[in-house]
Amino acid sequence: MALFTMEEIRKSFTNGEVKEEILKGVNLSLSEGEITALVGASGSGKSTLLTIAAGLQPASDGRVLFEGKNLTKFSAEQVRKIRAEKFGFVFQFAHLVSFLTVEEQLMLMLDVAESKKNKREQKKEIHQILKLVGMDHRKNAYPSSLSGGEKQRVAIARAIIHKPKVLFADEPTASLDSKRSKDVMTLILNVTRTLNITTLMVTHDEEMLPFADHIIKMSDGQVLQS
Amino acid sequence: MKMAWKEMKKNKVRFLILGSIVFLVSLLTFMISGLANGLSQDNAALIKKLPEGKIYMTKEADQTYNLSSIDKNLQESILTKHPHASAFSIQMGFLNDFNGKQRSVAFVTSTDSKLFKNVTRGEVILDRSLEESGIKIGDTLTNNQLNGKLKVKGFVEESKFSHAPVAYINMKDYQEMYRVHDMQLLFIPGEGPKQEFAGLQSFSKNEFLQTISSYKAEQMSLNMIIWFLVAISGMLFAIFFYMMNVQKIGLYGILKAIGVKTMTLFQMMWTQMLFITVLAISISAVISQVFNMAAPKGVPFHLTLETTGLLSLVFLLIGFIGATFSGIQIKKVEPLQAIQQGEV
Ligand SMILES: Nc1ncnc2c1ncn2[C@@H]1O[C@H](COP(=O)(O)OP(=O)(O)OP(=O)(O)O)[C@@H](O)[C@H]1O
Ligand SMILES: [Mg+2]
Repeated sequence: MALFTMEEIRKSFTNGEVKEEILKGVNLSLSEGEITALVGASGSGKSTLLTIAAGLQPASDGRVLFEGKNLTKFSAEQVRKIRAEKFGFVFQFAHLVSFLTVEEQLMLMLDVAESKKNKREQKKEIHQILKLVGMDHRKNAYPSSLSGGEKQRVAIARAIIHKPKVLFADEPTASLDSKRSKDVMTLILNVTRTLNITTLMVTHDEEMLPFADHIIKMSDGQVLQS
Repeated sequence: MKMAWKEMKKNKVRFLILGSIVFLVSLLTFMISGLANGLSQDNAALIKKLPEGKIYMTKEADQTYNLSSIDKNLQESILTKHPHASAFSIQMGFLNDFNGKQRSVAFVTSTDSKLFKNVTRGEVILDRSLEESGIKIGDTLTNNQLNGKLKVKGFVEESKFSHAPVAYINMKDYQEMYRVHDMQLLFIPGEGPKQEFAGLQSFSKNEFLQTISSYKAEQMSLNMIIWFLVAISGMLFAIFFYMMNVQKIGLYGILKAIGVKTMTLFQMMWTQMLFITVLAISISAVISQVFNMAAPKGVPFHLTLETTGLLSLVFLLIGFIGATFSGIQIKKVEPLQAIQQGEV
């Protein structure tokens, strides 16, 4: 059975008088430990679908099933808890906390996920993940002194430090050049394989598609093929 | 993790500015409060220093103490019933020293009592402030309505009325100067309820001070300034935290997206507010207390630790309310907003 399923997801926004349906009954499922890429024209509703999946905004209709539970029925606090403990996020921009060092960013994520481990074990874990993303040598740096690619690698480390079940990534390579995009994508592939993380990733970049196990194409609020 | 602390460490300047504003406003409030109290002491120490009790004047005087004139027989009967009570009178006037220099004083005379100073004819006891302006024990002073002279017998601390030093004189001298035989006021010490005497109106010490219109007006304007400052500082808190929070909306959004509780964000803000406020207020409290001790004698400044403590508490409370009020936006931040807004 799929780890994560979306059934008949609809989403409409009202802009003034007009009600616009952005998602028109989307069905999708993610298989455990695999990378699913979401592609489609700009404005086709990819980000909207991803943020609904990640519990960052509610759907107008339909069901989101995660580990057999219907997230659309969860309270805001329950959704927050799922986000904190079971989900990881990477976006186009790294969105790091400006006043925390690289190590502290990860420490914060462990705190948020209510890690039961003691400080020493946490530091060891952080050390390992930072090594995995190749940022161990910059663990005391603040985000302002990192390059775009380095920031994104830290963001990936933050997204997986708490061993989430699902990683949501919205154009994680869009702010990087072609070489760095490949590096970051290889990194995502490696860490999700290593930690058996299920990934849903929106991308515009054709070059990223070979990294995906499945490709879902969206057009005008609907899934074309899967 | 101590995010609140980390943020302050990284953004020192921003928090330093907030801190210095809190410091300045609270210092200003403490100083004005000290001044208000000092002026009130200067204006009314004579009355304020009396023990708990009630002051009586005639109803006919219509709350104007120097129009009051208490009937001799009534006074006698009350003083026999209340051995600790005392009748007294106050009149503003002048004393000339041997150089002919004129000093404005408040003449006070009373029946035999420990509450006021009693002297024999031709003697005077003065408030300490006159000693500082050059009068010595043994000096002789004159008054144009008095034939004899007044010899300075001693000085007392903190005896002021209507911003003038008090001069305690004998009743006979007083009667000669002001050509009156009845006393103006009666004071009966004790905490009990007011007593009724035919033709007399009773006042608590504070009520009595309120009948002096200059005292009332002065205190009212000073107290108004103090509460304005407190209100303004509350708004400053709210505005400052609001501006900081607006700048941090992206941060709050991203923290919420990764699953940080809204409560944690509030706690972060409260911690910062508390730290800054406590620090800033402590510094201004210390400075104002040092000023209280070191202020030159001529400056009417009087700031008790209780007043400082009370105002500090009010500041903390107001800061808390202001910060929390401005923090309502934290609750409203949608994680999505931050993500779609791009780099923070
Ligand atoms: N909060 C909102 N209110 C109104 N309209 C919205 C809102 N969010 C998204 N939309 C609209 O929904 C449509 C789909 O947006 P979405 O961001 O999902 O597209 P996308 O496929 O991610 O595009 P892109 O590839 O450019 O990122 C767009 O037309 C957008 O204007
Ligand atoms: Mg998008």
